[in-house]
Amino acid sequence: MGVLESADVVLEVANLGKSFPGVRALDGVFFRLRRGEVHAVVGENGAGKSTFMRLLAGLETPDDGEIRFRGRPVRLRHPHAARQLGVAMIHQELMPFLDLTVAENILMGRERTRGPFGWVDRAAQRREAQRLLRQLDVPVSPDCRMRELGVAEMQAVEIARAIGCRAEVMIMDEPTSALSERETRALFRVMGDLRRQGGAIIYISHRLEEVFELADTVTVLRDGRHVVTGPVTAFSRQSLIESMVGPPKSRIAEPKSRIAGVFGGHDRAANARPAEDAAALVVRGLSRAGAFADVSFAVHRGEIVGLTGLVGAGRTELAQALFGMVEAEAGEVRVQGVAVRLRSPRQAIDHGIALLTEDRKHDGLVLTLPVMHNLTLCGLDRCSRGGWINGRREEAVADALIADFGVRIAHREQSTGTLSGGNQQKVALGKALLPDPDIVILDEPTRGIDVGAKAEIYGLIRRLAQSGKAILLISSELPEVLALSDRILVMRQGRLSAALDPRRATPAEILHWAMPE
Amino acid sequence: MKPRPKISGTLLALGWAVAVAVAPGCGRSTGTKTAEPGAAPAQRLTIGVSLMNLSNEFIVMLHQAMLARAGELGVALIVTDAQRSAERQVQQVESFIAQRVDAIILNPCEVEASAPAVDKALAAGIPIVNVNSETRTPPTAFIGSRDEESARLAMEYIVQRLGGRGNIVMMHGFMGQAAQIKRDRGAREVLARHPDIKLLADQTAEWDRAKAMSLMENWIQAYGEKLEAVFAHNDEMGMGAVIALEQARLKPKVIVASVDAIADALQAVQDGRLDATVFQDAKGQGGGAVEAAVRLARQETCAKEVFIPFQLVTRTNAGQFLQTVSRP
Amino acid sequence: MHPRNIRPWLARYGLLLALVGISLALSLAKPGFLTVSNLINVVRQISINGILAVGVTYVLLTGGVDLSLGSLVALSGVAAACWAHPGEYPVVVPVLIGVLAGALCGAANGAVITWGRVAPFIVTLGMMTVARGLALVISGGRPVSNLSRAFTTLGSADLLGIPVPALILAAVALASHLCLRHLRVGRYVYAVGGNELAARASGINVAGVKLFAYTVCGACAGLAGVVLASRITTGQPNAGLAYELDAIAAVVIGGTSLSGGVGGVGGTLLGALLMGVINNGLDLLNVSSYYQQIVKGLIIVGAVWLDKRSTK
Repeated sequence: MGVLESADVVLEVANLGKSFPGVRALDGVFFRLRRGEVHAVVGENGAGKSTFMRLLAGLETPDDGEIRFRGRPVRLRHPHAARQLGVAMIHQELMPFLDLTVAENILMGRERTRGPFGWVDRAAQRREAQRLLRQLDVPVSPDCRMRELGVAEMQAVEIARAIGCRAEVMIMDEPTSALSERETRALFRVMGDLRRQGGAIIYISHRLEEVFELADTVTVLRDGRHVVTGPVTAFSRQSLIESMVGPPKSRIAEPKSRIAGVFGGHDRAANARPAEDAAALVVRGLSRAGAFADVSFAVHRGEIVGLTGLVGAGRTELAQALFGMVEAEAGEVRVQGVAVRLRSPRQAIDHGIALLTEDRKHDGLVLTLPVMHNLTLCGLDRCSRGGWINGRREEAVADALIADFGVRIAHREQSTGTLSGGNQQKVALGKALLPDPDIVILDEPTRGIDVGAKAEIYGLIRRLAQSGKAILLISSELPEVLALSDRILVMRQGRLSAALDPRRATPAEILHWAMPE
Repeated sequence: MKPRPKISGTLLALGWAVAVAVAPGCGRSTGTKTAEPGAAPAQRLTIGVSLMNLSNEFIVMLHQAMLARAGELGVALIVTDAQRSAERQVQQVESFIAQRVDAIILNPCEVEASAPAVDKALAAGIPIVNVNSETRTPPTAFIGSRDEESARLAMEYIVQRLGGRGNIVMMHGFMGQAAQIKRDRGAREVLARHPDIKLLADQTAEWDRAKAMSLMENWIQAYGEKLEAVFAHNDEMGMGAVIALEQARLKPKVIVASVDAIADALQAVQDGRLDATVFQDAKGQGGGAVEAAVRLARQETCAKEVFIPFQLVTRTNAGQFLQTVSRP
Repeated sequence: MHPRNIRPWLARYGLLLALVGISLALSLAKPGFLTVSNLINVVRQISINGILAVGVTYVLLTGGVDLSLGSLVALSGVAAACWAHPGEYPVVVPVLIGVLAGALCGAANGAVITWGRVAPFIVTLGMMTVARGLALVISGGRPVSNLSRAFTTLGSADLLGIPVPALILAAVALASHLCLRHLRVGRYVYAVGGNELAARASGINVAGVKLFAYTVCGACAGLAGVVLASRITTGQPNAGLAYELDAIAAVVIGGTSLSGGVGGVGGTLLGALLMGVINNGLDLLNVSSYYQQIVKGLIIVGAVWLDKRSTK
């Protein structure tokens, strides 16, 4: 048994660990992949699946542990090294060369050339590309420019490229998320061919029915750790989900008690929505093509509504529409009972809406400015008269915010880029709240933050609710959503699929409503 | 999805290439003078003119003189501006050849680099007249002035004013241009003959007034009282030097002479600010060039080289020149 | 001193050190350098470039660029000169017209960049040729001379021993420093340059801020054009060729990042001073202008490289 096993093993991982600033993304992971096997890797958002795949594809280097390829330990310092060993990856986020043709993309790095100077043989390229595209039953011409294709077509081309690489190990990260039924069938056929030829496939997906259809083996990751590995026949949908989220009771209790201990208990009963209060924010039938459709809900004063779902469900787009960063195409938004059109962030701020963006480095903070300037950026008119900034007033406002939000810095003139993730997030939060909004939208408020800072931010969120603000909390972390929310809304593929009561809902139930059917 | 046809892209590129090739010829037709009403169409000659740089005041005067003379003679001119690029000048002459003009007038940018234009015209059998500057290939006829002479006039004047001994600085035009080379040569001839005149420094101010001002200010710092005279290759630079010297209160002590006799300079000479300038007869050169071109086109006899003399302008005769040079 | 501690110190004072060092070296090589009259000379010579550099600082801070500066100098000089003939209009008129011409062109730049969504490089490149063409059209290709005494004193007079152009530079620099550090719109300039998306998400009118920056830059170019025309006593359509490169070089040497969000007027002034000192010194040493070009280029690249290293 042992000899046969080891001869068959193409890729093996032992005690793999990886840390990012403030968070341990992977810890002590074991994994084994055999020839001709389709091995599915499942887990919630943030379980470590993507990090794991990036380590295998050479995009990151591990901090601990070892990767063995055909029994030999390897160091994958960059993607090229992985590619040369025969590992090909299809990313979840596509990165095609938009201005080159389909054929050029498919054969990037392995062009068909003639002669000593590397003259590209266009005809041969086209033939090869055509062959691969036909295999996948994709109706795309190899001479098209990538820019002209839709997302699904781009993904199909990406798959054709990876297949053409004839890799021994193929890593597919959510390959069917944008594919139609027909293209998905074609993909499965190709995967079957690959498997028969001895290739091994690692398949990440949230679509559990695909996992059950395709995979031989399934590995579950949770919180960066390896939970269980076994033949797919040994699981049911229910048991698989439960492995992903963990045993029901301990998860809800743990974070809540920790937070409650530090900042005082959160009396949920008292905050149960009083029927007679008018809602601060009412959304009806809000739609935006390609992002979300027919979203309706309400948030009341002092209430925390948790909005959760998988990546790509449309939550961030919804938040941006509610803040005027993009415009909704249909539907209505009412703030304090008054219908409003939100065409710019300025208008949203004037109507009393604040947004803590998903990626503070991208569009939340101006990292080149000192902390004080970031804090006052949304409300400089309070610190100035007739366009002239009152330096002392600004300092006072900044100091108050720094104290209120517990930002730990040496000096308020410090450059914001030098702060830790947790402190930056507090600055972003303080900045958003300076205009004293009535409605606060928080998009992944604890992403990329260490545990200590997380607890502090939870406390801040609770305090905001207690002071009467209406809060929409968007988060992918189920324990966080369950601990903080008064009501939970689940978003799935652009629509609201469920409204749940956090006192009774389980993580498994939430995940069930979040996953595509 | 159908691929976009590649043919249209290539056609577009071809069309654009054709347009670019033709454009310099069409270029800045700043003055296409029509014939007098009485002239018979068969007789109307067309002359292609390529000027070095219409942003230069002297060339503008040359241009106007040509237009005037062409109007009197009843010929059509196609005028283009090479904008100081010899390459563009060659292209412009090539289009003239393609248009089969009766004659070409060339105001060359550079001695070497503009020579191919002359070669091509001669090979095509079209008479070509050089005006104001030379090219390495001798043209059918040349109308101009000897730049060495202009420098000699100015320098001799300075030597005479200094009494045969003193310190002088020289401001050059754009290095490598025919005018700069010649004027430098002329100046050095005079210096060689008068060993008691010392050249303290010489630098280029690129025909530019502002650059000349800065350069002069720095020279004043470096040499102070030692400065006695300045020779500038053109009036713009000369005026820059004058203003700088005036601000340092070194005028009228330091003598300044330059070449061109533009309106500004003539006024300054009359006012006693600029000591001397040298008149380059734009009218004579421009008109003469048109005349020569017309004679050659009609296959009449024409002198191979016409040198129009320079004239030294000082306070005594500045007035008469002021009247002849039109003011804007 | 621990090597790691030198970096931030070098970043803040490195430029000043370089300036002092080069000045000392020059004064040793040429004793005439470090005299009051020569230093005043230097200050007078950097005034025009300095005014341009202060103006383009706004634009670079927003992460943009302006290549049309030189042409605006020519256009405004010519426009002002047309109204500055003796005995015609009070001197205020040509000055205002010159500045206004520059401001209008700058606003046009800003409008196309923000609402047309065309890259600043392309827009200002186009304006560079358009403005130059306008200058040639207005002037008919010849310099506009015969200017009134009142007008030309702007460029040539001294006030308390300091040249008027330098005083104008000082006034413009002071006003800009106050604007960028103490006015709300100045703060917004830094925010837009630092992270345009975050600035928009903070409720800032990004288009308005950019329009402001380009208009101010154009107005400064207009002012510089007026001062130049006054200094050389003519409105020259060919003035200002390649002035934008020197202006941007001064700003970049002074520490403003080309990607925006970092820098300021103080650094720009130091950068302009450094370039002026080098130009002046090399002229005094009678170094050929070709070598001067090479030295200037090397110093610009060297200064920026040092700056990148010290802020890593």
